[in-house]
Amino acid sequence: MSNEFIALAVPAILLFSAIFTLLFGFSVHYTKSRGYFITLGTLFITFLISANGIGETFTLPVLPHIFNSMVVYDAFSATFISLFLLGGFLTLAIAKSFVDNTCFFTHESFVLLLFSLFGMVILTMANELLTAFIALEIASMSVYILVGLNRNSLRASEAFFKYLLLGSFAASFYLLGMVLIYASVKSTNLAVIAHYILSTNLKAQLLVIAGSMLIMITIMFKIAAVPFGAWVLDVYEGASFPITAYMAGVFKIAIFAFILRIFLQNFIAYESLYDPLIIGGAMVTLIAGSLLAVTQNSVKKMLAASSVVHSGYLLIAFASIGEATYSATSAIIFYLFAYFLSAIGAFGVLSYISKGSDKQINYDDLNGLAKSRPIIAASFTIFILSLAGFPSTIGFIAKFYIFTSAIEAGYAILAFFGALAACVSIYYYFKVIGHLYFKESGPVESLSGEKFSLIFIVITAIVVLWGGVGTSLLYDLPGINALNDLSRYAIGSLSL
Amino acid sequence: MSLLIFLPFITAIFLFIVKMPINAVKSIYVVSTLCVASMAIYLYVHFDPNASMQFIENHSWISQYGINYSIGVDGVSLGIVMMNALLMPLIAIGLYKQRDKKGYWIHLLFVQGGIMGAALSLDLMLFYLFWEVMLLPIFFMIGLYGYGKSNFVAIKFNIYTIFGSLMMLVAILYLAVSYKEQFGFYSFALDDLKNLKLTTIESLLVFSGFMMAFAIKIPIFPFHTWLSDTYRSAPTGIVIVMSSLMAKLGAYAIWRFLFTLFDKTSHQLAPYFIGIGLFGLIFFGISAMNQTHLKRMFALSSASHLSLIVVGFFVYDIYGLVGSSYLIISHALSSAALFLMLAMMYERVQTYTIDTLGGIAKVAPVFALFFAFFALSIVGVPLTSGFVAEVLIILGAFEYNIYIGFLAATTVLIAMLFMFKMISAVLYGDTNERTKNFQDLRAHELMALIPLALLILAMGIFPNYFIKNIEPTAKTFASNKEVSHHE
Repeated sequence: MSNEFIALAVPAILLFSAIFTLLFGFSVHYTKSRGYFITLGTLFITFLISANGIGETFTLPVLPHIFNSMVVYDAFSATFISLFLLGGFLTLAIAKSFVDNTCFFTHESFVLLLFSLFGMVILTMANELLTAFIALEIASMSVYILVGLNRNSLRASEAFFKYLLLGSFAASFYLLGMVLIYASVKSTNLAVIAHYILSTNLKAQLLVIAGSMLIMITIMFKIAAVPFGAWVLDVYEGASFPITAYMAGVFKIAIFAFILRIFLQNFIAYESLYDPLIIGGAMVTLIAGSLLAVTQNSVKKMLAASSVVHSGYLLIAFASIGEATYSATSAIIFYLFAYFLSAIGAFGVLSYISKGSDKQINYDDLNGLAKSRPIIAASFTIFILSLAGFPSTIGFIAKFYIFTSAIEAGYAILAFFGALAACVSIYYYFKVIGHLYFKESGPVESLSGEKFSLIFIVITAIVVLWGGVGTSLLYDLPGINALNDLSRYAIGSLSL
Repeated sequence: MSLLIFLPFITAIFLFIVKMPINAVKSIYVVSTLCVASMAIYLYVHFDPNASMQFIENHSWISQYGINYSIGVDGVSLGIVMMNALLMPLIAIGLYKQRDKKGYWIHLLFVQGGIMGAALSLDLMLFYLFWEVMLLPIFFMIGLYGYGKSNFVAIKFNIYTIFGSLMMLVAILYLAVSYKEQFGFYSFALDDLKNLKLTTIESLLVFSGFMMAFAIKIPIFPFHTWLSDTYRSAPTGIVIVMSSLMAKLGAYAIWRFLFTLFDKTSHQLAPYFIGIGLFGLIFFGISAMNQTHLKRMFALSSASHLSLIVVGFFVYDIYGLVGSSYLIISHALSSAALFLMLAMMYERVQTYTIDTLGGIAKVAPVFALFFAFFALSIVGVPLTSGFVAEVLIILGAFEYNIYIGFLAATTVLIAMLFMFKMISAVLYGDTNERTKNFQDLRAHELMALIPLALLILAMGIFPNYFIKNIEPTAKTFASNKEVSHHE
């Protein structure tokens, strides 16, 4: 399959499918399960198509005479697109039982999901600030509404307004930053900006530096780094489980795709300016996230707070990009992959247990699950272990890469700090396992098993384990090495 | 060789997936562990005492970071492998009637695989993997089958040990990155990393990262605060694993990793660790004397012996080294046997408190005989293996420094004090309500204890046969050290 075809087909199929579902939703033939399977099928097909593009290094401006090289399709974007399409697919597949048991997953929700993925695809391919902004907003707007899907829940409405207001406010920083950059560079194209940064002396670049800082604020807001992540607890709590998983796992990947692209291509020259800020941000994020996570009673809020900690780990690698470009970047890619698998799995198990109800799942609600549903409990344990970075899961390999890149960049103290945060995380993660296995439950209610979700939960759990120990020695399955190669191709395609 | 590590894992996963009655689970457990034991014996018989590292296997795992699956065995690790392989089936035979939960046996298999892997790995990442993996089943077993506030204890133990491990992880990564800076590529292999040149501060920091993990596992004073709670709450299977295998693994890791990687730093710090070790020997011994809870008492007594093992390693000559390796094996045997007997006693009288016991020797002479024998073998009475080991360590200590040797020799006596006190309180005196109907040892219990007793006697009477496997490793090691010492 030629790369031009992939570049056009993936967004086109997503867009077409979204519009089709939108119209089909008004037809009498529409049922929820049809809408669900159309969406799922679309994601699966686009994932397959997009996965053809990974594994080699290439760069390809998409129809430059029409789009004026505003979008570019390269191995980097191909890798990220495949990642979050897979993430979207898994989220939706695991959420089957949740979707069946609730009434607020109307056809619009599937349309919004597809639109948000379309936005992310364009965001990943964007080679220009304005395009990126529009794509970011397409994705964000869809996610805002998805958060507030459950109109009957006060919490969801609160989360929706909070996220909408703060999100729009944060987006304005991006616009201002872009304006400042445009004022001195006279272009919003990333390649032109990169050329300008390299060819002008640093004194004359004040506006660009200020602009890049403002853009970073928006990005930090989106990945919920402290102090811009004040929204995260309420929003994650208010949104329904699949949407929370989607925001924590999948949306973050797209944001990081963009941040890595602009940082590696353009702002790496300012690395010495940025580093103290990012290091400080990483430390504060780790501390605050750990504190938040330790104090939560609800498992969902704990996972939400711990996602802040995970952003902190990503920032550790991000701070190391300047000195250890290659290993830090591939660490980030690997970490995103590991985190989205584990987070989607963990939230998926919660949504499976909640059976579509709006109630908060506290630690005590997990009591005795190991007795009543041993397979679910075992998978949940695997996800939790992976989030905690326990060896033999993919989460450990991811942390290993992050810490190695930090030490390689000369920030051994950051790695030490990350290890401390990981130690704290043992407490709140193992509390979950303790409740799963050690506490007796009250009257056990029989859960109506939804095979479809269960199968995908188990598959994800196996992948998480395989990612931790996988090697190409046994059979010819791609193991940890293969993932490393993928990220190498991806980074190679960025013109550094 | 790899089968030694993975057979327990495979069996455990098989048992988890397949539903079957509990007796079948136990039988499969016994068969699988006996397979491992026979493989270990095969290894022992084919072990060539004159070569150091052998049965090496090497496969690439994460090639970009130079992480390999590389395992091998030498004289010192052979001891731990053998103990791990031999004790596991005996636990099942000894406790045959007691534990009716499938999970109990599955977790024990996981522990066995983890310990086997950690003892055999020659790659730091692989070692770290197994080192952590074996924590998980221990955590589950304390929480699921433990006594008292087991949930709290399980999490406390876990956070404590994982804190140590994470410090070690950072240290390992630091080593690997420095290796890359000096040699241009990543490697986690022990053989490569020992060529590394580090500044004094660096090696001190990295050394303490490793030491943190090992000191918590063993435990060395002052990292022992998890010890008595955990031992009291943990079920017997895990207590045996912790005192006979896991703690020994910590001591072994000091020798295998720290002495290989940080030769100079270990030399410089040796006096401090000998001091801490001797202090621990006395401190744990005195604390053990004041205990009324039998499990806690044995926990502290084994901590006291582990301090002696650490002293033996840090004394840094051939006697200390052989003595410590020998003590690792002999103490593993004796303490495993004692904790097994404690579990049997608990099954009969439902108590661990010394004050409520007494007069067992009158009603159950065979039990008393074995109990006294194992208790004495821990103390190191002549004819038992503990005696040989302690004499060797004390000899080493005398070579090192006459005062240290004197101190070590006298402090060993502390163990005698509390053991004799315990024996007289538990076995002799008058019978009371609880011990009146104390049943003597049953056939399957004898079946588990007799091999242990025979092995302890054999190791005490014919030490040469066993030491010949350790000695060459120790010799090459000690002579290497001397060369580097004089340079």
